[in-house]
This record gives sequence, C-alpha cells and structure tokens, in this order.
Amino acid sequence: MRPLDRTTWTLTWRLTRAGGRTGLLATGLAVAAAAVSTTLLLLCVAMNLGFQHRTDRTDWRNPVESSRPVAVQAMGTTFTRGEPVTVVDVAQLPGRTAPALPGLDRFPAPGELWVSPALGDLLDRLPADRHPVPGTPTGTLGRAALAHPGDLVAVIGHRATDPAVTAERAPDPRRIGDIASPTRVASFTGTPLTDGMGGMYTLLARLATVLVIVPLLVLAASAARLSVSRRDQRLAALRLIGATPGRIAGLTAAEALLTGTAGALLGAVGYGLLLPVAASLPLAGGAWYSADLWIGGLPLLAVMAGVVALVVSSALAGLRQVVVGPLGVARRSRSRGASVVRAVVFVAVVAVYGWVTREYGSADVVALFAFAAVFLALAVIGPWVVRMLGRIVTALAKRPATLLAGRRLLDDPKAAWRIVSGLTLAGFVAGFFALLTVDSAPPWGGRPDQLAIAAPAHKVGQTRTQAEQRLHAAGVSAVVGVDDGFVATSPYDSRQITATISGGTAELDRARTALTGLTPDQYPLTTTDVNWSENRFTQDFTTITRVVLVVTFTVAITSAGITAAANVLDRRRTYALLHLAGTPLRVLDTARSRETLIPLTVLAGGALATGLLCGGSMTLAGGDSSLDARGLTVLAVCCAVGVGGILAAGGLSRPLLRSVTRYAGVRGE
Amino acid sequence: MNTTSAVLTGAGLFKSYGMARALAGVDIDVTAGESLAVMGPSGSGKSTLLHCLAGIERPDSGEVLLDGKRIDQLREPARSELRRTAFGFVFQSGQLLPELPADENVALPLMLGGTARRAAVEQARQWFGPLGLQGMEDRRPGQLSGGQAQRVAIARALVGRPKVIFADEPTGALDQATGMEVIHLLTEVSRSHGAALVVVTHDANVARWCDRTVHVRDGRLAADRTAAEAGTDAKAGYRR
Repeated sequence: MRPLDRTTWTLTWRLTRAGGRTGLLATGLAVAAAAVSTTLLLLCVAMNLGFQHRTDRTDWRNPVESSRPVAVQAMGTTFTRGEPVTVVDVAQLPGRTAPALPGLDRFPAPGELWVSPALGDLLDRLPADRHPVPGTPTGTLGRAALAHPGDLVAVIGHRATDPAVTAERAPDPRRIGDIASPTRVASFTGTPLTDGMGGMYTLLARLATVLVIVPLLVLAASAARLSVSRRDQRLAALRLIGATPGRIAGLTAAEALLTGTAGALLGAVGYGLLLPVAASLPLAGGAWYSADLWIGGLPLLAVMAGVVALVVSSALAGLRQVVVGPLGVARRSRSRGASVVRAVVFVAVVAVYGWVTREYGSADVVALFAFAAVFLALAVIGPWVVRMLGRIVTALAKRPATLLAGRRLLDDPKAAWRIVSGLTLAGFVAGFFALLTVDSAPPWGGRPDQLAIAAPAHKVGQTRTQAEQRLHAAGVSAVVGVDDGFVATSPYDSRQITATISGGTAELDRARTALTGLTPDQYPLTTTDVNWSENRFTQDFTTITRVVLVVTFTVAITSAGITAAANVLDRRRTYALLHLAGTPLRVLDTARSRETLIPLTVLAGGALATGLLCGGSMTLAGGDSSLDARGLTVLAVCCAVGVGGILAAGGLSRPLLRSVTRYAGVRGE
Repeated sequence: MNTTSAVLTGAGLFKSYGMARALAGVDIDVTAGESLAVMGPSGSGKSTLLHCLAGIERPDSGEVLLDGKRIDQLREPARSELRRTAFGFVFQSGQLLPELPADENVALPLMLGGTARRAAVEQARQWFGPLGLQGMEDRRPGQLSGGQAQRVAIARALVGRPKVIFADEPTGALDQATGMEVIHLLTEVSRSHGAALVVVTHDANVARWCDRTVHVRDGRLAADRTAAEAGTDAKAGYRR
C-alpha cells in the first residue's frame, strides 16, 4: 500500500467535503493562509527582481571606457519641479559606426533630442522657458532605456567636437550616478553602479523580504496545523478500523496537499490580480512596469511548490502530536522539551551577527544572511524561553488559571510559542526599524531657492555677467552673486555663481532653463538637488517600513488567531470535561490568555531588544542608529497593535471555546 | 419516590432535541450514600438524564432538586459553581489535564473553590493512599495506566466532598478486570464518604455494584430495582 494511493485520495476528498461547517471553516482558513502567504511571498520576490530589472536597464547610462571607441557618452542630471531629469549626451566618433542606444533603434544624429514618454508629456505641458532640456523632441525612448514609466530621461545627439561631449565633468561623490564625464565607449551596455542608492534599494528590498517571509511561513504553518487539529477524531476512528499510521499520514499529507495547492493557486491568482496595484506603488522615483514585477514561470512555480511543501510538512508535524493511538488519546508521557542548546545557538548567532557587521559592514550580503539568521534564531530560542517561563510561572502560581497557564507552558512550550511566534518576530521588526534611521544628508550650504553653478576661477566675472544676461533675457528676477560655497563642484579651480530666485518652483525652473548650458560641464542646481536621492530614499524607506510593519503585524495577528483556534480545537475535550465538572469558562479563558500574554510580553520584549541590537549595528544610506521621536512612535504603535492584536485573537477564539465546551461530547467516541 | 430523604430528585423531567424526545417524564431520586446505576440502550436518554440531574443541561419541563432546592432554574454560572462544589464527575476518559501532575489534577477543584495551592495539593495527596495511588502524585496522566487515571479522576471527583458523584461510563475505556476494580472503588469510596453515586452504564456487570438500577427506555424509566430485588449484588462476592 502506498500512502498516497487512490483510496487515500478518495477518502481525503470525501472527508474534506463532509467535514461540516467547522471543517469547511478550518479548510477555508488553511487555504486562505496559504493563499495570502503565496501572494505576499511572490510580491516580495517580485520587488527584489523588480529592483534588479530597473538597475539592469539603467546600467547603460554609466559608460565604460573602451580602447576601441565608437562614440562618446556623457551624463548629467538636471531638475524640473524638484524631480531629477537624466540627460545623456552622445556623439558618434568620426569614421565609426555607433550602435543604437537602449530604447532607440538607431544612434541619435547631432541635434536630435530623444525623450522618455514621461519627459515628453512634461515638455508638452510646460512652457518652453521651463523646459529642463533644450530643443524639440525627435522621438521617444523605449522601455529598454528607462527604469520605470515615470523616469525623466533625455538623450541628446551631438557632434564629437561639441563641448557637451568634450568638456570634462566633475564626478561628485555626493551625487553618485548623477554625473558621468565624457567617456569614449564601444557600446552602450554600461556597467552597474557599485555604490549609490540603487544598492541601498536592493539591500532594503532584501531586508524587507527577510522580515516578511518568516512571519508568512509561520502563518502557513499555523493554518496547516489548524486543519490537523480538527482531524484527530476522525483519523483516530480510521485507526480504530485498521488504517495504518502510513495511511493516516497519507490522508493528512493528501489533505494538506489539496489545501496547500488550492491556496498556492489562489495565491498565484492573487499575485496576478495585485500585480497592477503593486506596480502602481511609487518606489525609487516612480511606479513600476508591470513586466518588472512579473517574476516568471519557474520562480512562480518554485514559490508555490515551497508553500505547498511547507503546508504538508507542517500538517505532518502537527499530526505526529495529535493522533497517537486508535482511541484518539494522545498518550504523552513527558514534556515536549526545549533544550538549553537553543539558547546557546541564539546567543552564538547574535554574536556572529555583531562580528559580521563589524567585519563586512552592514550593507554586505554576508551581513544580510547573518541578519536573517538572527531572525530565524528567534524561532530557535522561543520555545526554550517559553519553557523557562513555564517553570517560573508554575512555581509562583497561586491561582488555578495561573497554574494551568504555567503547566501548559512547561508541558508544551512549542505550542505556546506557535501562538506568539508571529508577534515575537514582528516585535523584532519593530525594534529593528525603530532604531534604524536614515539620516538626510547634511545641507551643503546655499538655499533651496538658490541655484549654483561652478565657474573657472579665471572666468568668474565673465560667467556671472552671462548668467545675469541670460536671466534678464528670460525675464527672471534674481539676485546673482559669487561665493566659495560647494553646492556646485567642478574638476577645475572654480568659484560658485549663485542666483537667488524668488517666485517659487516655476520661477526657479525658468532660471534653471536660462542658466542651462552656461558652462557645458554642468547643470545649475540647488542645495536640495544635491541630496535628492537621499531624500527620496528616506521617503521610500518610510514607505517600505510601514508596509513591512503592516504586513508582519497583520500576518502575525492572523497567525495568533488561527493558532489560538487550533489550540482550542486540540484541547476541546479536556475543556469540555473541565467545564462540565464545574470549571468556569472564565478560568479556562484566563488560563488561555495568560499562557499567551506572559510569553508574549517576555518574548516580544526580548525580540524587540534584539531588533534594536541588530538595527544598532546596521547603517543605511549614511544613517546612524539613534532612537528618535519617530523610532519611539514606531515602538509605541507596534506595542499597542501587538498587545491589542493578541487580545483580539484570543477574544475571537472565545466563542469557539464556548462552543466546544457546550457541544463537545462527554464520551470519547 | 421519597423526596424527603432524597439528596437529589428529578421530577417530571422532559427534554427534547428538536423533534427527538430524549426524556419523556422521568421521576427519579437518589438518597445520600446510595449508588444508582442508570442503564439502557443507546439513545434511550440515560446520558440526557444524567446531564439534567447534574445541571449540565436544563430540562424542558420538570424539576431537579438538590437537598430539596430547585437547581434547574439556576443560571449557568450558578449551576457551574454547583457542579464544582456539590457534585463530582467521573467520565470515560480524557478528563485529566495532561500537563498537570496527578496531585494537581486532584487539587484543581479545591483551588477553583478558593483553597490556596499548597493546602489544596496537600489535601489532594491524602486521597492517593486510600485509592491505591501511592507514589503516583507527581506522575502526569500520560504516565498512568487507564485504571490509575480513572482512580485519579475518582479522587478529583471526591476531593471537594460532593453530595453526588456522576459517573458516565466510567469503565468504558478499561478492560474488564480493571473496570471492575474501578467501579468497586468508586462505589465503596463514595458510600464511605456519604456521597450519592449516579452511574450511567451499558454494562450490567458495572450496574451490579450499585445499590439500585434504573432502566431507561425511550426517555422513560422502564424499571427500578434494588440489587437485592434483582439478586445481582456483586459486592458480596468481590475480592480484590
């Protein structure tokens, strides 16, 4: 007999259909949990791949010097309405044939202006005196040249002798990826930026994925256990009529396979449906191309298979604890231990994390793995902490509810851990994000309404006069000056020409347009422009933090609710008999809530502290680790949501407790 | 029916579940220290009778009196307290909390009644000797045999000095020999402590240990005989 033969499938299907209202509810919850897990996992993978796709498509802007060049390429970044506009200047070298640029079907001829669709729309809407790039667009750049649909990019064709492709540009370490000095290139494949915000986004996406995946796995596992909890009676009945343990395991695996597959399929459909919604979420400068968030067939199948495997293995693990004998009596003779080795492993992993972040830096992929290991190590130490708490609570218990809670924690620490594990992990996330701050880059002098442009020291007077003339011609009222500030930089000995503009953003942009080309190696910029990528990352960091916190807490509270319900079902006969013998429901309920709240308080507190510790060793985008008002708010809100959530989860299973104590049969059959 | 000396009385009990009538006018009483077996085929209403007498369920009509006071009209919290303080229960199996050691399982009703933990456990342990459970105080239910677990359940039923003990198929999950030991112990200990015993059973061998047997059929009492009348007194010939 094979565990998954035709009889097993027939029986499974029959039992699933005939499970009654409670059975259908449990099956539905298991399917829903697997579906939600699949959808969110797929979205996490999609976000990671999406950032990678974006980076891949912007590599061409970062030119690579070649010994056999065919063209010259330079890049600069100007701004319009506070948004960056990437301007790529290209020229074919005499006698050479340059290949087409990404997003174009030919190399731009001198004087041609090719713009991204978003920039084209903007140019159509803006008056000419506010255009960030001069000229009339020749055509539109294709998707292959753009990071995202809202990307503002211009490609300008030049002659090889034009100043735009000959004048050296100063690489500004504050503006990585904004400027590329004219470079002789053989192709337009470019190279990935090794530094800058792109890497930070990738790191943030990976962190967010790690932080979301673990609670999702907990959710899928807890849902699978819920199915098993209600199955014990009928599986015991099957044992009684001669079904072998292999058949029982087969039935369990088959049902989990059905629910897991149904959930994974629904999750994949959910992912497909949510793709446009996720694509509309503006991150790193704009919404996404939906295709960037499509992870592909094989990865999709891999994630689905992973979820199904997790559901099946969790169900089998749960089965091992539920049905032991034909009479359906769990003959447990000793506590399900949680060895001290778990504590040792946890401490070791945290120590390794500290060492790794010191040795490799927090942005290194090794640090990310170490971080993930700390997160997982919480799941290792959890049951041990619960067991220790059980000992303490049992020793100190004076009232029956506390004694019941303590003994329960001591007897089956893993069961209690399963209820609070999601929120414990969420506590870690909250602690991590509370401390992990991304400081805005420091101001570089100047003012937000003051444009600066660097001029060679020996031509300051001349450049200043030209600036005044240009502004006057454009009808812009500005105070022009010269200083030694360092908003604008140059590769030569220079001073800074400044133009302070009154009249808001529109006037600033008109001034910017007027001053563009004043020096061929740079675009005028304000102090705010220098920090644009840091400021954008800070905003995106906040968005991602909120999304991760909402997802982890929602998933954790859902897991807690499902596990609490599963625990009531697991113990329904004992609860029923205790109640029949006069134990007030209040006592049973208090014991239940204590066996949750006591470990939650300690574990979530500990996890929060661990999160703070990990956040303390990690820096992002030049940010440091300090607990500010934002961090305190994050902590306070998360604590309130966590405690409220666990109370609500317990409260929601109270009717189930009432129901099982009312209707459960007195006898075992 | 002699309600004046009865500790527990059911009078004119009717109970239906939807269209199915479980009790159709049952009159019954139990006196202090008496053991009463309730027999009948499956679905005859014997468990419903036990539930109504024990305050687990309310009859649709009729009265249940404990020491002459009606208990069927009490609200659930009051009936719950009554079950904890005036009644004891022994079920077929699974009634012990698997995570509590035996002594704490027995002490639980006392603690629920407000006795301090240490005193409750001490009091509970005093029952282990008489019930043949010496040395098993710290064992958990999973470490006990079926018969031992039922003895712990008996100790728990008796620890609060109840007026009535209700036993629903208390030997149903035990082998014949162990079952006889358990029912013997249950009847003897409840009698010696002056508690009435109501045993619902399918097993005529179990009923033989009781002072009186009633048969329930179609929700009505079909017969009510003492062991002497039936000539089935098992106590006389039992040797442990």
